[in-house]
Amino acid sequence: MDKIARIDMSTAGGPTVTMTELGEYAGLGGRAMTSIIIATEVHPLAHPLGAENKLVIAPGMLSGTAGAMTGRLSVGCKSPLTGTIKESNAGGQAAQVLARLGYAAIILEGKPPTDDLHKIHISKDGIKITVDNTLRLLDNYPAVAKLREEYGDKVAYMTIGSAGERKLLAASIACTDPELRPTRHCGRGGVGAVMGAKGIKAIIIDDAGMKMRPPKDPERYRDANRKFVEGLRKHPVTGEGLPAYGTNILTNILNEAGGYPTRNFKSGVYEGGSKLSGEAQAELEIKRGGKATHGCHRGCVIQCSGIYNDADGNYITKQPEYETVWSHGGHCGIDDLDTVARLDYLDDNIGVDTIDMGVAIGVAMDAGVIPFGDKEGAIRLVEEVGKGTPLGRILGSGAAITGKVFGVERVPVVKDQALPAYDPRPIQGIGVTYATTTQGADHTAGYAIATNILKVGGDVDPLKTEGQVELSRNLQIATAAIDSTGMCLFIAFAIMDQPETFQALLDMLGSFYGITMTGDDVVALGKKVLSAERDFNKRAGFTAAHDRLPRFFYTEAIEPHNQVFQITDEELDSVFNW
Amino acid sequence: MRRPYIGTRRHNKGIVMTNTTEPDNSPPLRLRLRVPAKAVVTFSPLLQAGFVVTARTGCSVKTLLCGQFGIDEEYVTRRITTMFLDSRPVDKMDSTLVRDGATLALSCAMPGLVGATLRRGGFYAAFREGISCREEESPVRPGIGSLKIKLFNLLMGELGPLFLGRGIIVAASAMEELLAGSSVEFLASCWEVSVDTAPAQVTAMIKNDIFKGREKVRLTVLFDPPVEVLEDDL
Ligand code: SF4
Repeated sequence: MDKIARIDMSTAGGPTVTMTELGEYAGLGGRAMTSIIIATEVHPLAHPLGAENKLVIAPGMLSGTAGAMTGRLSVGCKSPLTGTIKESNAGGQAAQVLARLGYAAIILEGKPPTDDLHKIHISKDGIKITVDNTLRLLDNYPAVAKLREEYGDKVAYMTIGSAGERKLLAASIACTDPELRPTRHCGRGGVGAVMGAKGIKAIIIDDAGMKMRPPKDPERYRDANRKFVEGLRKHPVTGEGLPAYGTNILTNILNEAGGYPTRNFKSGVYEGGSKLSGEAQAELEIKRGGKATHGCHRGCVIQCSGIYNDADGNYITKQPEYETVWSHGGHCGIDDLDTVARLDYLDDNIGVDTIDMGVAIGVAMDAGVIPFGDKEGAIRLVEEVGKGTPLGRILGSGAAITGKVFGVERVPVVKDQALPAYDPRPIQGIGVTYATTTQGADHTAGYAIATNILKVGGDVDPLKTEGQVELSRNLQIATAAIDSTGMCLFIAFAIMDQPETFQALLDMLGSFYGITMTGDDVVALGKKVLSAERDFNKRAGFTAAHDRLPRFFYTEAIEPHNQVFQITDEELDSVFNW
Repeated sequence: MRRPYIGTRRHNKGIVMTNTTEPDNSPPLRLRLRVPAKAVVTFSPLLQAGFVVTARTGCSVKTLLCGQFGIDEEYVTRRITTMFLDSRPVDKMDSTLVRDGATLALSCAMPGLVGATLRRGGFYAAFREGISCREEESPVRPGIGSLKIKLFNLLMGELGPLFLGRGIIVAASAMEELLAGSSVEFLASCWEVSVDTAPAQVTAMIKNDIFKGREKVRLTVLFDPPVEVLEDDL
């Protein structure tokens, strides 16, 4: 990964490609690469859908190697949904393939003078950009099917659906999985709308003739990778729970804890929770000839995903994740997994973030557009998004816009991005992260839970309330660092509990780049990324007042624990004091 | 190879809840069946939604699990890493007391930050400090009482047979729904079926609407082979 390709869509004679060396961006990957490029090169007041914004696509530091779990792809820009800097990442094959071709980043710049749709073909022979208006308004599944006729099955595809072309604020970018289904999405923050604004419908990445990226110290790398994989396999979360039930294993637990936001955050317990659980989902998948264990990219050893079939054994969608099952399920008062699966398919096909889409439907239900629990109604509303009707455009612009248009007071967003599936009133520490993250409410912003091993910020007493702010800060630092490696965040448990697995990860990084990597280096990287992101947001006009949860979390107590959010503004403002 | 609990499915030596009694006055329908070991997954809707057992209350969570239910202490410590008593995460198993009528939910370690947060005595316990189980302020009197138990994720397969083997009380409607939604293969695999001690057939039970008008069912399930295949490694 020794080059960056800049594709300027503005030029009158058609897009131009410039190859550059890494320069000041050397040594960066994933989120570190996307965020530092955006913070350095994009005017903070740029319109997110304008020519001044850039869309940066970057594999992780270890993507394209033989290392396990290294296939996450980061996409960054100024977000049209939040107005902040944005990094949205996904699995699928794209990161591995792009990295093997030697690209540390692809930067899409400018804006085309016409409304032509383009596709970008990247291979060892270079980058070719062509106009293809036959793809117009094709959603992701049919778009990929059409592209496969031309480019075959040995490539990775990144596409936008009709939502991206319409520049809806919840639009995602789809990455194909090993079976070439467009199921893995850079979902959050409307990154698909930015790709649509640049007139790009599809990116085809072909690594034919390329080899795995070679480590500087192959033997040490192989050994570290083996230990890393062993660590993942032996841990009960990464070796058993996630492979057996996927992330939806959390439904029962959150519901039991009273932290499962139900019917637009009106209760913390959903009576239909067990029908939506990962346990029920896995059983159904196996019974119908689908799969409860499946990797989103080659080289994933956890395999938290699956294949969800209908009652006749026909494919509906990949296994919907916990956040999706919640946003379309309990949040909307729907306790039917088949409905959730249909909605997940529609989201993937149209190309919208499943969290913002589901939360928008729940907000619309709260407004009385359709009643809570209306399964067919929910499907109809998402279909409206696909058709691009006025109502569909409102819903596809996410929960914040939907709430404003329908006059809803209880709108669960921070910086206009919908909250994920954890209520911050019973689990207040999560609320600290939601409120203060640089990305808008995002559960993955504080996810890499190895801070105890990293000793970020020294020793924190986890049983003290004051620890929450400090813990949240440390988590955000650790997450920013892991997001830069290209590692899936689900490795977090194994590296938290097993110091030798964390050491194996450091050794993978060190032996690959021929350096010695310590926990301090990881912390420094995380801080560097967060500082750049915070600085961008500040220059874009964001202040401490934006680092708050919506007011209803402070005023409406939630069942069963009858708690409101109690972290003070002063405490929230101290999260980024380092 | 470590067994999750003491005793076998047939004998259940370590368990005291042998005479599960009905909390209200109407006697539950007593349904007993024997099924192949792999069929434990069929009962997961009942196990995760929760079932009632009778036990000595007023003791600690740890005493309940190890002393009464006979679950191996190391298994409890290492495997049941997330537990809730009346929706409150438990951190101290030794000192958290179980009252009559309580709901105890048991789970393996969970993924994600929230999974780490809810974990027993976990590093991120402060994140949910406001809902954590606290020491009882008023004394909890020892006695015999009813508890609702919920088993989640991997524990359904590992501990489900223990509870099912001794008998659990569930709503008749839930039992009816379970059988109605079961596969033909499962129904055909049930044998030694009895209803209130009289021999019966599962398919006939569904056809004859035997759950109609009943509130509760005391379900006892024996598995074949009885123990070994269910006792996986930790
Ligand atoms: S653990 Fe899940 S999300 Fe992570 S790489 Fe594997 S399949 Fe993808």
